[in-house]
Amino acid sequence: MRPTIPVKTTLTVLTFVALLMVPQAIPSLKNYMSIEPKSAATILNFPVATANSEVRADPLASPENLAQALNKQLVAKAPKNLTDPTHVLNHFYAALLKGEGVHIIHYGDSPTTADLITADARALFQREFGDGGVGFVLLARPWAWYNRRGVEMSASNWKIDIAGNSPLKDGLNGLGAVSFRGAPGAIARWKVKGAAHRSVEIAYLVEPEGGAFAVEADSQPIGTGSSTAAPGAAAFVPGYASFDIPPGAAEIALTVTSGSIRFYGADFRRGTGVVYSSLGVNGANVTLLSNSFNEAHWAAELRHYKPDLIIVNYGTNESGFPNFVDTTWGREMRKAVARLQRAVPEASILLMSPMDRGTKGAGGEIDTIPTMPRLVATESKIAGDTGVAFFNTFEAMGGAGTMGRWYTSEPRLVGSDYIHPMPAGARIVGELLFTALREGFNQYKVQELKQKIVEQAERTGREASQRP
Amino acid sequence: MAIFLLYWPLARVRALALAAILLANYFFYAKWDLRYLALIPAASTCDFLFGWGLQSSNRAWVRRALVTASIVMNIGLLAVLRYAPARTLALPLTLSFYVFQALTYTIDIYRGDAKGTKSYLAHLIAVSFFPTTLAGPITRVSSLIDQFEKRKPLDPADGSRALFLIGMGLMKKLLIADYLSSNLVNRVFDFPTLYTGAETLIAVYAYALQIYYDFSGYTDIARGSALLLGIKLPVNFNRPYAAENVADFWRRWHISLSNWLRDYLYFSLPGKRSKVFAYVNLVITMVLGGLWHGANWNFVIWGALHGFGLAFARLWQRQFGGTTASRTSGSVLWRYGSIILTFHYVTFAWIFFRAPTFDNALAILGRIASLSASFANISAPLAFVLLAGVLAHYVPKKWYDWSLALYVEAPFYAQAGVLALLVLGLQNVVQSGAAPFIYTKF
Repeated sequence: MRPTIPVKTTLTVLTFVALLMVPQAIPSLKNYMSIEPKSAATILNFPVATANSEVRADPLASPENLAQALNKQLVAKAPKNLTDPTHVLNHFYAALLKGEGVHIIHYGDSPTTADLITADARALFQREFGDGGVGFVLLARPWAWYNRRGVEMSASNWKIDIAGNSPLKDGLNGLGAVSFRGAPGAIARWKVKGAAHRSVEIAYLVEPEGGAFAVEADSQPIGTGSSTAAPGAAAFVPGYASFDIPPGAAEIALTVTSGSIRFYGADFRRGTGVVYSSLGVNGANVTLLSNSFNEAHWAAELRHYKPDLIIVNYGTNESGFPNFVDTTWGREMRKAVARLQRAVPEASILLMSPMDRGTKGAGGEIDTIPTMPRLVATESKIAGDTGVAFFNTFEAMGGAGTMGRWYTSEPRLVGSDYIHPMPAGARIVGELLFTALREGFNQYKVQELKQKIVEQAERTGREASQRP
Repeated sequence: MAIFLLYWPLARVRALALAAILLANYFFYAKWDLRYLALIPAASTCDFLFGWGLQSSNRAWVRRALVTASIVMNIGLLAVLRYAPARTLALPLTLSFYVFQALTYTIDIYRGDAKGTKSYLAHLIAVSFFPTTLAGPITRVSSLIDQFEKRKPLDPADGSRALFLIGMGLMKKLLIADYLSSNLVNRVFDFPTLYTGAETLIAVYAYALQIYYDFSGYTDIARGSALLLGIKLPVNFNRPYAAENVADFWRRWHISLSNWLRDYLYFSLPGKRSKVFAYVNLVITMVLGGLWHGANWNFVIWGALHGFGLAFARLWQRQFGGTTASRTSGSVLWRYGSIILTFHYVTFAWIFFRAPTFDNALAILGRIASLSASFANISAPLAFVLLAGVLAHYVPKKWYDWSLALYVEAPFYAQAGVLALLVLGLQNVVQSGAAPFIYTKF
């Protein structure tokens, strides 16, 4: 039988197409348009997939190569995104210039918890200004997501309290906003990769009836400590016990030998150089700093660790709540900055804006969440008002729509939540932060040099005028 | 649908009808990259000439040389497109399914399983038939040539079935597969440690559903599109998660690939009559099948898990008889236990298939083993889609047949209305664009 036009199916197809075209003719139905006649011409667009960006088109390109390629494009913009009108960063720059050890403390949310961004920034700072050691590490991993690059951790038998997310509301949260209570049987181990560290300092809460603990290096005892307050001494204050690490020891273990102790973490030091402590809390927002810490306790902790630069890096979690952003966020950020300024007035403070955050639009495109530009603008204004520095991460990485571009790049630079950067994306942000601060440092050095030349010239002039 | 409207008015004239399909085939390739317009005809022409040589020659060495040349050329094409530095080619499709389909032509003629064709045009069309271009179903070229040559009128019932299949495919893909991938699966596999053990386990189950609905949705659309032109493509899926063992699973999952692997790879391996080699060859076949998906250890593990599963099923069959548990034992409990066990074994293997790296797969397993239970990331709509996906998979086949019959018997305007409502509904419910089909990357 010779083929003929299939009448019923043809009628079905034509009717179907006609029905889809109805909204074209009736303006009130325009929200139901499925066919866009104007886009029909694109059906004759035939691509030739050339390597428009060599690295981007190469699926074999390593994330590192891609990060480097993108970074080249972005780095030039970075200095413009660091504002420091009151030169609050000069303290930090001076410490870098002095070269006798610099401590950076970075408070943030989930990317900081996983040591994304911070690990890359740390590596760059330590490569250029010396490696002062791992810095402050929590006693155990409160979340599977918690990570510190170069440190292997294992722990058991601890009761973990996370500031703002625990029935314990005393605010005695140590430096890192997490505390770990343990009794005999509780153990924590750290294995630090790379060059050996010289010392480890254990941080805990001094209590009227505390406990005792022992520290070992490669299974050899290196010291003991007690968290019980001495008679007449203050209790419920931070306590520290420092231990020398024998050369070549790789693993440090801490065990509770008696009583009950509330620990905070361990600070590993290697010598002079940069120490970059990343202090992230999953799901955190700025109220962690403005409300969840007991102010006196936190101030004591901060003074002990003597940060030269404190980076405050929140906003991503808050951006999902427009009302909070518009009514409360700015107030809480000001409160957090004020607490820091009161605690360590000499330290440089840098507000680091959140990264872009993507959300899927009606047509499937990945847009920037609407609150983000408002939140970043608010943060910039707060930095200006409170006299601290501001790094606009959002603009440095490309502004609105960045996560959409990052999601579709090959390899992907952001996860499928359009929030958390993949390691290659985190590296870009880490490099942007480092590059901006290094640029600022270079400018500071030039200023210092000029100042010295002027002073030298004045001195020479004075000496010349005093000569007979 | 445009091709449907173009094809049937020309269908009375053989050359015009075939030319219309050839145009459609090459149009689809050109939409991916214009360079396919040189590559595909060149490769197809070579295979046509090899096939012509095989039809013309009775000398064993000539025939062996011709079929070897065809295999080398096609596998070489696949290897170059898949593994050559992208900077030199940057072609978006690896042509796996084209190669599998093309090889059926020359190997079948060589083995005497098919006659081959003298029609260059028919061969060009069959070997690059557009509905099968991206991800199958892999169809024997000889079967397609037969259907193109014996053009028949489109039965109204077949026309309705075609539209029903396309509608079903769109729903499977957009409502279930894409929703699960963007709202759970991709997120968990990107950063497993951000999620609890329970959420990770649900994401793994969700991936099992996602890959089924994505791939079977594609197959439905492909089969429907071909059927609109009167061409019947083979069934590729048959409720795979109702399988009672791994062998049964491969009779229900990606059937055209498992048949291809069996007919063109497994049967070609030495030692068929050996008791031990029969098992070893199953593992080798599946590991090679895994490696086809990508050159990394995860796919090797996935293939090996299925190879061992198949070997175990065969051993069981030898020891106890029957091909499925229900046939060896009448127990309903035993049957459902086998289904649940097989589903979990297959789903365990999917972890390695989906995870981008071995470490990521271990992280997924580690999170599940943590037994941490919180469901903060499982929203109510997500739970609903998951449940719908499970129910739709296990719904009795007669329900599907009943709804198909209802659609087929409906008047044209009702059919069109249902399709229009479906498109409108998908557009408003999904609102996130379609993700690429999973198997187009292989």
